[in-house]
Amino acid sequence: MSILLDEKTRVIVQGITGKIARVQTKWMLDYGTTIVGGVTPGKGGATVEGLPVFDSVEEAVKETGANASVFFVPAPFVLDAFYETIDAAIKFIVIVPEHVPVHDVMKMRSYAIENKVFAIGPTTPGILVPGKGKMGIMPASMFAPGRVGIISRSGTLSYEFAGILSENNVGQSTVVGMGADPIVLANLPDILELFEKDDETDAVIIVGEVGGEQEERAAKYITSHMKKPVAAYIAGRFSPQGKRMGHAGAIVRSSAGTVEAKWEALAKAKVTILESPMDVSYWTSKHGFH
Amino acid sequence: MRLYEFEAANLFKTKGIPVPRQKVVETTEEALSIAGEIGYPVLIKAQVLVGGRGLAGGIKTVSTPEELEDTAGQMLGSEIKGLPVRKILVSEKADISKELYVGITIDGYSGKPVVLVSTEGGVNIEKVARTSPEKIGTATIDPKFGFYPYQARSLLRKLGLSKRLLGSCADVINRLYTLFTEFEALIAEINPLVVLPNEGLLAADAVFEIDPSAVSRIKYPLPDRFERIENPMERKGKEIGVTYVDLDGDIGLISSGAGLGMASMDIIGKILRPGNFLETGGGITEELLYKCMELVMMKPNLKAIFINIYGGINPIHEGAKGVVRYIKEHQVKIPIVAKALGNHQEETWEILRSAGVHVVTEAATEKAVDRLIELVRKR
Repeated sequence: MSILLDEKTRVIVQGITGKIARVQTKWMLDYGTTIVGGVTPGKGGATVEGLPVFDSVEEAVKETGANASVFFVPAPFVLDAFYETIDAAIKFIVIVPEHVPVHDVMKMRSYAIENKVFAIGPTTPGILVPGKGKMGIMPASMFAPGRVGIISRSGTLSYEFAGILSENNVGQSTVVGMGADPIVLANLPDILELFEKDDETDAVIIVGEVGGEQEERAAKYITSHMKKPVAAYIAGRFSPQGKRMGHAGAIVRSSAGTVEAKWEALAKAKVTILESPMDVSYWTSKHGFH
Repeated sequence: MRLYEFEAANLFKTKGIPVPRQKVVETTEEALSIAGEIGYPVLIKAQVLVGGRGLAGGIKTVSTPEELEDTAGQMLGSEIKGLPVRKILVSEKADISKELYVGITIDGYSGKPVVLVSTEGGVNIEKVARTSPEKIGTATIDPKFGFYPYQARSLLRKLGLSKRLLGSCADVINRLYTLFTEFEALIAEINPLVVLPNEGLLAADAVFEIDPSAVSRIKYPLPDRFERIENPMERKGKEIGVTYVDLDGDIGLISSGAGLGMASMDIIGKILRPGNFLETGGGITEELLYKCMELVMMKPNLKAIFINIYGGINPIHEGAKGVVRYIKEHQVKIPIVAKALGNHQEETWEILRSAGVHVVTEAATEKAVDRLIELVRKR
């Protein structure tokens, strides 16, 4: 079993009639994903790549038995579509769009938790299970099947890490983009938990970045809950710090969020620190992960 | 989008939060006339979009017209933390019997608003938070439930605020929370919220930042988003929809995704010095990469350009066409190293090579940076 996406996942594409969504739907189908239809309010009855388009998520679920959804909905409409999707009893949602307003994401997160829905994003390239399927925009050429899991805050860095591993004949079990926004729908420990339970994953790579406290929280989780080996790369060591307004942010955060603070927390949790992306292949070959 | 203090204070006024008598001016003459109306002493406050202004000399008290002329003259045209002072706020100097701190922000991890209150407001509030955390009251808010006066009163009561002030202070905090949600803020802060000798209240400073993704749907005459970005290249970046940060090195950088951009800087920065950070966001097009080249080349004396992009949303050869069009039109002579992977990558490499770009086809950014270093050293 991979995590979140497997043979039983029946995917609908929301916003399927948009220009980008049409292309991405084709690429997801080409990769072997079970896509059963799409939704665009007002475009019901149309077809995209031979798939039926519905006016509502409710209809789509009724007609196709869909149990997962990937969003290509324009940012201002994501909140509405998200509530609709949860009300239609879909339990796994991938939010690809960027620029979803933060106050909307707060409400989405709250509603997802309340309804026990697992959602990733916004601003995520999605999730890819090599050789099986993908929900989102990850470019298929970078990935190969195997037993190493990747969780990345940055989209493109997840491709980079998968690409380096694939070039070195190390495959991936599942690759998850968490989303690059300051608030995301699934936090790092939520995804680590799935990898820890997954019997097709032997080791996990965290691709993090400066700022926030995802990695510090992950370190706590790893210490108390994880047995599988974990390595972490944190981008942003030489990034200039932005000019700050007000004091509230500094008061709220328990960590400075610097690369050094994250290294320290992760090292304490016995996570291997990768100083540079290429170090990942030394780590996998040293331990024989594939 | 960050608001200047005077803009935030005007916003506060619309919600009935009491603010001092004050006016923003651009000349010493105007400052003199406003101070005459308000009555000395007055505060002169530099309008800059950065925190820690008070400790950096951006807030001064003046007691006479002569003093005001000197202070305003010095402040206007000076720099605070690297930002030019073009406007100053002339503000009534209130008598202070107590200073509170009120801040609302978002906790990124829980994804919830957090209301922070302290009875020890002022410039040292972060120190108070570190050394005596019990003096800060914190409430994490369920964004669907909202924030109610009883919650504000409860926070203030626990901090030992006198009973007579509970109602009026809670009212100000709730009005600020209303603004925070209506205007989709990332931060809203009053520091200090001054308690006057007659127990009236005054929001003596105002910090407010609006989520840039929400600006277009806010029904309020907000100032121009881009005008307030001081650096011309950073402003152009915002205009074309990319994140550009000006740095003091001489290697131009174009990357897709902030993480990849930061990783590129980390690797380049071990040997060479990046002259900028540029992150395209998703959806690379020919036009966008042409404009990115234009933007990066605005910086004089670059030694080389490093392009590190992945095609996720769009096939990557579209972007390559934009790079090549710029090179040909402007006869770029400095070396350009590109790592471009994703859909249609072989086609992309061919297009880039046709304009003399040094293409690296492996996934690891280190390999591409090695090539960059080699080329820069050769020159």
